[in-house]
Amino acid sequence: MSNFYLFDTLSLHAGQTVDKEFGARATPIYQTTSYVFPDTDTASSIFNLERGGHAYSRITNPTVGVLEQRIAALEGGTAAVCTASGMAATFCAITAILSQGDHIVASSQMYGGNISLMKNTLPRFGITATFVDPNDIDGFRDAIQDNTRLIYGELIGNPGLDILDLEAIAAIGADNHIPFMVDATFNTPYLCRPFDFGVNITIHSVTKWMGGHGTAIGGVIVDGGNFDWGATDKYPTITEPYAPFQGINLWEEFGPTAFATRIRAEAMRDFGASMSPMNAFLLLQGIETLSLRMDKHLSNTASMLEFLINHKQVSWVSHPSMPSHSSHELAKKYLPKGAGSIVSFGVVGGREAGKTFIENVELASHLANVGDAKTLIIHPATTTHSRIDAEALVAAGITEDMIRLSVGLEDVRDLQADFEVGFRAAKKIAGL
Amino acid sequence: MGFRTKQIHAGVTPDPVTGAILTPIYQTTTYVQNSVDEYLAKGYSYSRSGNPTVAALEAKLTELEGGAACATFGTGMSAVHATMLAFLSAGDHAIISDVAYGGTYRLCTKVLSRFGIEFTFADGSNPEDVAASVKDNTKLFLTETPANPTMKCSDIAAISEIAKKAGAVHAVDNTFLTPYYQRPFELGADLSIHSTTKYMDGHNATVGGAVISNTAELGEKVRFIMNSTGSIMSPMVAWLTLQGCKTLSVRMDQQSASAMAIAEYLENHDKVEQVRYPGLKSFPQYELACKQASGFGAMLWFEVKGGLAAGKQLMDNIELWSLAENLGSVESLITHPVSMTHADVEEAERARVGIIDGLVRLSVGLEDTEDLIDALAKALDQA
Repeated sequence: MSNFYLFDTLSLHAGQTVDKEFGARATPIYQTTSYVFPDTDTASSIFNLERGGHAYSRITNPTVGVLEQRIAALEGGTAAVCTASGMAATFCAITAILSQGDHIVASSQMYGGNISLMKNTLPRFGITATFVDPNDIDGFRDAIQDNTRLIYGELIGNPGLDILDLEAIAAIGADNHIPFMVDATFNTPYLCRPFDFGVNITIHSVTKWMGGHGTAIGGVIVDGGNFDWGATDKYPTITEPYAPFQGINLWEEFGPTAFATRIRAEAMRDFGASMSPMNAFLLLQGIETLSLRMDKHLSNTASMLEFLINHKQVSWVSHPSMPSHSSHELAKKYLPKGAGSIVSFGVVGGREAGKTFIENVELASHLANVGDAKTLIIHPATTTHSRIDAEALVAAGITEDMIRLSVGLEDVRDLQADFEVGFRAAKKIAGL
Repeated sequence: MGFRTKQIHAGVTPDPVTGAILTPIYQTTTYVQNSVDEYLAKGYSYSRSGNPTVAALEAKLTELEGGAACATFGTGMSAVHATMLAFLSAGDHAIISDVAYGGTYRLCTKVLSRFGIEFTFADGSNPEDVAASVKDNTKLFLTETPANPTMKCSDIAAISEIAKKAGAVHAVDNTFLTPYYQRPFELGADLSIHSTTKYMDGHNATVGGAVISNTAELGEKVRFIMNSTGSIMSPMVAWLTLQGCKTLSVRMDQQSASAMAIAEYLENHDKVEQVRYPGLKSFPQYELACKQASGFGAMLWFEVKGGLAAGKQLMDNIELWSLAENLGSVESLITHPVSMTHADVEEAERARVGIIDGLVRLSVGLEDTEDLIDALAKALDQA
C-alpha cells in the first residue's frame, strides 16, 4: 500500500492488505490473546524486537495493527500505537520520554482530564508542569526550564477553542531540543496534519471524530519521525541502552520510529493500556467515512453558528471561524477547511438559564463526549472541567454560563427546532 | 480424540499468517479473488454462502456430533425450517414428535401447512404410534427428545428403523442433551438439529442454529437451502459459539448434577405435586433415558400443589431464577410454557400431550446448587 495516495483513498485502504488466507475484503477481527509460534527461534526473535510479528495481544494485534498503520498514514507519521483510551495515549506518550524530575510546558486550554493528569497525577511521580496561555507564545519560551522535556498542547483548545500557533511553538521546541506533542483530537488529520508544521508527536482520542459513532473508546499516539533524539542527552529512554531488551539502543536500531517503539516495548508491555481488536475494527469502520463526516460536521456547524449568532436568547457565541474570535487568523492558517465542529455559547440568563436549556433540548444529547455523529451538549463548569479549581477554570477560558456544543450530522433544521424549545424554556426561567 | 479434546480443538487451527490461536472473526461480506479462473480457489466468495469463522464452528459441530457435514443458521428455528425445506415439498408428509418446542409446532401447523405439506404429530414414546402414522408420502421424521417441555423421551433407534423402512430421513432435535450426552447418529438418525442458542453457546449471548448431517449428500441438501433462503449465522455469533463450545462438557456435567439434586429436592417437598426429570427413578421412561443417553441434562419441570395459580405465584415470587424464555444457559431460568414458549399450541393439543397448565419448567444453570435450592425453598414456602 503506497502512502502517497490521497486522503480519502488512505482512509479506506492504508494499513490493510487483503487477507492472505481467504481474501476477506474486510479486516478480520483477531479476537485472540496469543499467537502460535512456528518455532522457538522465531519466538525469541519476536520477543527481542529483532523481527516484527505477534506474540501476545497486549503488545500487538493484527486488527489493531491495521488501524495503527492507517492513522499513521493519514497523519503523515512514521508509526502509530493505539491505546485503550485517549487518556492512555497521553499518559503513555508522556511517560515514554519523561521520568522523575522532568518538566512539561503545557497549554492551559486543554481537556480537563489532561490538565488533571499533569496537575494532580504526574507530580506524584516527580513530573511537573507549567501551564501557559495558548496565545502567549513568549510565555512558552519563558516557561522552559533546564529540566523541561516536553511541550504539550491541543491545536483547538478545549473548550475555549483558542488555536495553538503550531509553527511558533515548534520553533521554540526545536531551539531547545524539546519535542512538541499535540493533542489533535478536535481537528483530525483531515483538517490539519500537525507534522507539516513542525510538531513531533500527535495523540488523539479516536473515540471522537476519528471513530465518529460513539461506539468505542480508544486512543492513538503517532510518531512524527522528525525529532532528532540523538542530538541531546535529554532523552535516555530513547538513546541509552534499554536493559529489558538486552541493552538495545532504540534510537540506533529504529531511528524515525524509535519513540513509537519505546511505547510498544514499555507502555504496551508494562502498563498494558492496549486497544481491543473489536474496538479497532469499529474504529476502522469509522475512519472509512472520516472526510465525508467531517465535511458534514463543518457545514452543519456553519449553519448552527449563523442560527446562534442571530438568536436573541444567545448572549455570546465563540468559534474560531468567526472574525471576532481571537484565533481567527490562526484558524485560517492551520485549519483552512474549517475550525472543527465544537461551538461554545452562552444562554441569556446565565447559569440557571443554561442549565434549563440543556434540560429541555431533546435531540441534542446531554453527555460528556464530543465528536459523535449525534449532536451533543454539555455544561463544562459542572462536568468535564469540574475537577479543576476556579483559577484553572478561568485560565482554561470557561465561564459559568458556557454551553459546549458538539455539532452532529443530523438535519440542521431539526437541530434548530430542538434548540428553539430549549431557548423558550430558558427564557421562561430567566423571567424574560 | 475424546469429546473434551474435540470441544477445544476440533475445527480450529492456528491462523497460518499470524499464528493467532483463536479463529479470527471474519466480519466481511466478500472475498477478493486472485483471478476469474481462480474463482473460489480460497474457498469463499460471499459470506452468505460461507465464512471462515462460521466454517470453523461448522467443522467443530460436525466433529462433536460425529457427522459428515454441518450448516449453521441465524436461529434454531431457521435450522428446523431449513431441514423441512430440504426434505419436504408440496404433497409430502412429515411425522413430528407430538411434544416439541412450541415454535416447531407453530411452523408446521401455521406456516408450512400453507404450502401443501402435511404433518402428523405422533407419540414418540410409543414407536407403534409412530409406525402407524407412516404414509406413502412420508419423507421426514423429526424427533425431539427429551421433548420440550414435558421431557417425554422418544426411542431414537426404534424411530430410525421405522424411518429407514419408510425411505424417509430421520432428524433428531438434540438441543436438550447435546452430543456430549446423546449421540443420534450412533442410534441410526440422519440429521441432528440444534438451537445453538442453548447449551452450545451457553451464556445467553447469541441466537443461532445448526443442522449436522450424517452423510455429505444430506449435508449438501441442507446447505443448499441455507444458501438459497439465506437465514445464515453471523461471524460474530459463530465466534461466540466457538468459545462457548469449549466448556460444553464441564457446564453440562455441573448443570446436570445440580438438576438431579433439585429434582430430588422437589420430589420430597410437601408442596410439590409432581416432578419430571429423566434422572429420577420415578420418571416414566427412566430406562430409555438411561439406555439412550449418557446424561440426563439440566431441564426438568414440576407442578406445585394448587396447580396454575400456585405455580404462577411461585414464578412471580422466586428470586435468583430469572423468569425468561431461553434455556441451557449458565443463568438459571424459570418458565411457564403455557403462557410463554408453548402459547401457540392450542389448549386441546396441550391437554392431549400433557402440557398441563401448572407445569413450571426449570433450566438449571451454573450457580451454586445450594443457592438454587434455597431460592426454590423460599418461593415454595410462600406458595
